Amino acid sequence: MTSIEVTLVTGRSLAQGIALEKGKLSEDYLKNVAVVELDENDLRRLGISEGDTVKVKTKFGEVVVKAIKSREPHPGIAFIPMGPWASLVVDPSTEGSGMPTLKGIHAEISPTKEPVMNPVEILRRVYNLTKKIPPMDPAEVVVVKEETKRIEKHVTCAFCGSLCDDLEVVISGGRIIDVRKACALGRSKILHAHENRILSAYIRKNGELVKADLKEAIRHAAKILVNADYPLLYGWSSTSVEAIKLGLELAEILGGAFDNTSVICHGPSIQALQEVGLVTCTLGQVKNYADLIIYWGCNPLHAHPRHLARYTVLSRGVYVKSRKERKFVVVDVRQTSTARAADLFIKVRPNEDYELLSALRMIIKGFDIEASEVAGVPIEKIYELADMMMSAKFGVIFYGLGLTMTKGKSRNIEEVIKLVQELNEWTKFVLIPMRGHYNVTGANQVCAWTTGYPYSIDFRRGYPRHIPGLTSAPDLLANGDVDAVLIVASDPVAHFPNEAVRHMLKIPLITIDPKWSLTATVSDVVIPSAIVGLECEGTAYRMDAVPIRLRKLIEPPPGVLSDEEILRMLLDEVKKLKGIGGS
Amino acid sequence: MEILIKNGYVYDPMNNIKGDVMDIAIKDGKIVEPSEIDLQRAKVIDAKGKVVMPGGIDIHAHVAGPKVNSGRIMMLNDHYRSFMKLVPGRRRSGTGKYTPSTYITGYRYARMGWTTVIEPASPPLKTRHTHEELNDIPIVDKACLILMDSNRIILNYLDNKDYEGCKEFILWLLEAVKGYGVKLVDPGTAVLWSWGRGYGLDVDDPVEPYSLTPRDIVEGLCRVNLELGLPHPLHVHCNKLGIPGNCETTLKTMDAVSRLSSDKVILHITHVQFNAYLGGNWYDLGTGSEKIAKYVNTHKHVSLDMGQIDFGTATTMTADAPFEYALFHMARWKWLGTDVEAEAAAGIVPYKYRRRNFVNALQWCIGLEIALLVEDPWRVMITTDHPNGAPFTRYPKIMTLLMSKRFREEVMKKLNRRALRKAILPSIDREYDLYEIAVMTRAAPAKLLGLERTKGHLGIGADADVAIYDINPKELDPSRDYEKYLKAFKRAEYTIKSGEIVVMKGEVVNEVYGKTFYVKAKTKLEEEIYGEVEKFFREWYTVELQNYIIAEHELRNPQPIYVGGA
Repeated sequence: MTSIEVTLVTGRSLAQGIALEKGKLSEDYLKNVAVVELDENDLRRLGISEGDTVKVKTKFGEVVVKAIKSREPHPGIAFIPMGPWASLVVDPSTEGSGMPTLKGIHAEISPTKEPVMNPVEILRRVYNLTKKIPPMDPAEVVVVKEETKRIEKHVTCAFCGSLCDDLEVVISGGRIIDVRKACALGRSKILHAHENRILSAYIRKNGELVKADLKEAIRHAAKILVNADYPLLYGWSSTSVEAIKLGLELAEILGGAFDNTSVICHGPSIQALQEVGLVTCTLGQVKNYADLIIYWGCNPLHAHPRHLARYTVLSRGVYVKSRKERKFVVVDVRQTSTARAADLFIKVRPNEDYELLSALRMIIKGFDIEASEVAGVPIEKIYELADMMMSAKFGVIFYGLGLTMTKGKSRNIEEVIKLVQELNEWTKFVLIPMRGHYNVTGANQVCAWTTGYPYSIDFRRGYPRHIPGLTSAPDLLANGDVDAVLIVASDPVAHFPNEAVRHMLKIPLITIDPKWSLTATVSDVVIPSAIVGLECEGTAYRMDAVPIRLRKLIEPPPGVLSDEEILRMLLDEVKKLKGIGGS
Repeated sequence: MEILIKNGYVYDPMNNIKGDVMDIAIKDGKIVEPSEIDLQRAKVIDAKGKVVMPGGIDIHAHVAGPKVNSGRIMMLNDHYRSFMKLVPGRRRSGTGKYTPSTYITGYRYARMGWTTVIEPASPPLKTRHTHEELNDIPIVDKACLILMDSNRIILNYLDNKDYEGCKEFILWLLEAVKGYGVKLVDPGTAVLWSWGRGYGLDVDDPVEPYSLTPRDIVEGLCRVNLELGLPHPLHVHCNKLGIPGNCETTLKTMDAVSRLSSDKVILHITHVQFNAYLGGNWYDLGTGSEKIAKYVNTHKHVSLDMGQIDFGTATTMTADAPFEYALFHMARWKWLGTDVEAEAAAGIVPYKYRRRNFVNALQWCIGLEIALLVEDPWRVMITTDHPNGAPFTRYPKIMTLLMSKRFREEVMKKLNRRALRKAILPSIDREYDLYEIAVMTRAAPAKLLGLERTKGHLGIGADADVAIYDINPKELDPSRDYEKYLKAFKRAEYTIKSGEIVVMKGEVVNEVYGKTFYVKAKTKLEEEIYGEVEKFFREWYTVELQNYIIAEHELRNPQPIYVGGA
């Protein structure tokens, strides 16, 4: 049978982001996430057409997904949206960095007759899960009828790191019926807020998840945590700062490990900052001043859809007023939809961003480059980009996981930071990471002011330590170091590499989440929570570290508390079990 | 809780008490008449042969907020080296020496007998962050000053000479972000830094595109500050900080507002050491301490804090972003820079002060010289501009250096010789006494912050913030036994905060949470200026005005101080 060799890239897609709000076990999710985007040419080489199933095989595993044609040509590159399918074939090794390699992996693709497994089948057949998966509550939340219709303005959207705070939400009958100004992702999150909800606490008894009283579930969870030798508390990027604070206190008292999801997104950015610093600004500075905007290794039209219009290329600033006055460059391994809108697209060979960044630094320092191309980019184009950078009045590079998840990891980021630092010899230049989850920046901030470290924190010795590669969640799980896990507002069973998931399924698991996630379905204790920014308030930090308040707009489902309230109860219970007075 | 502190040597400058043996009684968090105490129930502390003072007040230390936290993240090495362990039910854990995490910041202040601290530079847009950190600093009372020198709305008002509008806006802004006072850092620099310019901006240089100079900004805002009757005078970090020859700039800045007041302090020049340099280059750096001190001794409208350096590693962090960029070129290690839209900028660069380095040694001398040459201790306060000159945990050392010429000589033995030849310090004999130290670290900052009714003294009705040091001033001469004084100051025998014993024998025994002071207008302002500000917001900002305002309940323990209005 024919097979082709490709470079595999995984990450967020718009369709994945929208579908996940309907639930990981929904048809929509399966349809939009169990896919591989292939170039038209590559489909032809395989002798298949769109919709056929293919087997993707890497050194680390294999998975069957449906092939779809990529909208933009990218021969030799295969894209699988992040999710349980992608997780089976990514490289789990963090090479001591805490960050698995999730992009730029060598893969082989061949046609197959095998069917695509749904997430439950993956758990059963790949991970040999024996725990029973509950028949989930009918997703709809029943709400108390409220007659009046009202419109809430200046609402902050709690989906991505852009934290757009100008939404208008129409509420009627105690439920949100419309959202204005939001992008497709935000709209999906807000309009589907009442779907796929967990409406009661659950405890697993004899292999089966059964409904339980909230207090009983909290007592049970506290017992699991206190009895564990070394528990891990993970997630935290999609909840409020207030909840994260309590999570840290809990980890400290338990002598466990605490990690937030930045470990598998911008952890390398933080490691680079620790080494060399950073030159950055808030998004308003970009809007008002920037005449050169570069997106590197990110696809904002899919992951941060309003970014261009609100903050960058298309925004109206004080000194730079329109698209015409701004130059717009995209650097990526494939021509994404963002790249198609750019003035200049630079296609870099996968895993060679470091080389391209080094070439730019050399040119800016006045060195000559003898090679005719670097990282697959003709040298003339690199000179052109360097010239654009040096002659900008105010330049900015936004970079995404295309730099942090590929070969080199934090070294790529160090290189781009140094490039920007050096560009300041010539002109004003700044760098802003495109943070994914709406409060992942906040999670880093709280962790840093509480412990001195932004993520991957260990409290085993009674004081905070931070050793990525050792105290980072993917490593702690893959190495089998932890013996119980508390997950707050995250779904590692869907998004962590193979080996980490295997260990997670062997140990007691507690999940606090508003919605049924894969992790929740396999947990031993499940506690439902309110959605921050809709059903309870709290603070979150935008990607540029601007803190914005999230408001409460509607009542949570009956009996459902906020993460903050749940964690306070859990903390009190743990203190009680450990015989610690006060609160 | 009721406490009676018996027979201590009490130093309470505001009430003119100079080491008299007295009893101090505490009830419900306040100082009361000893007769009001029920001796059956009260905890009695025998302070015989010990020093009793009000809790220390730090008028300027970068302890919380966006740039402090960036500093923590960048200074990984600091956090690996220094930590405090969890004591369940008593205190939290933390790491860091010169960029400590929030909990241990509170504990370390308390261990030294300090009970109030002011975070001096918060950009309004990120002040919610500052408050979240202040909420997590235990024990001490706190407040934050708001960066306003490059705020485009304010500059617009000043440019249009609309002082009334400016006054209203500043009062609105302070209340909106729950700030305590007006802070200027290198006035106007952040405007220029948005185009990568602004290094070395002097008082009479233009701040384009406005038809303003830093002098106009200082003068205008000093007037606004005064007319609003804000509790704290205008808090200024002068232009050209850290650049040789900047002494002239500092003198001009002080003189720019001299006509506005002849008796009352209306301008506070912060970390003056960094702004008291003569010379045209680093190699011919000279001390401007005499000039600065002479000005302060002859003009009553200014006060100073030292910004003393100490040797070892520090983290420089300031809203003077171009300076940090320049320092990065000297220190060549790490540089973190941030701009905040329409408001401010900041930079962070780690730095190491060395005894054998000519510049560093002279800097060390200049800070002490100023403190020793200014005659009035009510107008010169101890700070290290933490963590710029040294961590705040060096205050005991600085207090002791001011009290002992012998100690100074001991340190000078190891300093760069050329620096000592240029310095005045070796020829200064003055030694502060305990009473004057109590002025500098307690009474004076309380008065300058406008908190003198309840803070900085031990009179009836004052907040029961008390420090007890295990040192007998009648037996030990600070000049000779400076090591014993240093040891006693480092770890208070007792620290009492709001009537609760929080430190005993130098260890934290109890965790309480202090108040956050902020300025609130007596009358409601919002509607009047909302329209105008909203228009400006849409143009300059990327957040909605409504989401910029910080609600009172976001502060752990808010304490409004009312000003203005009818």
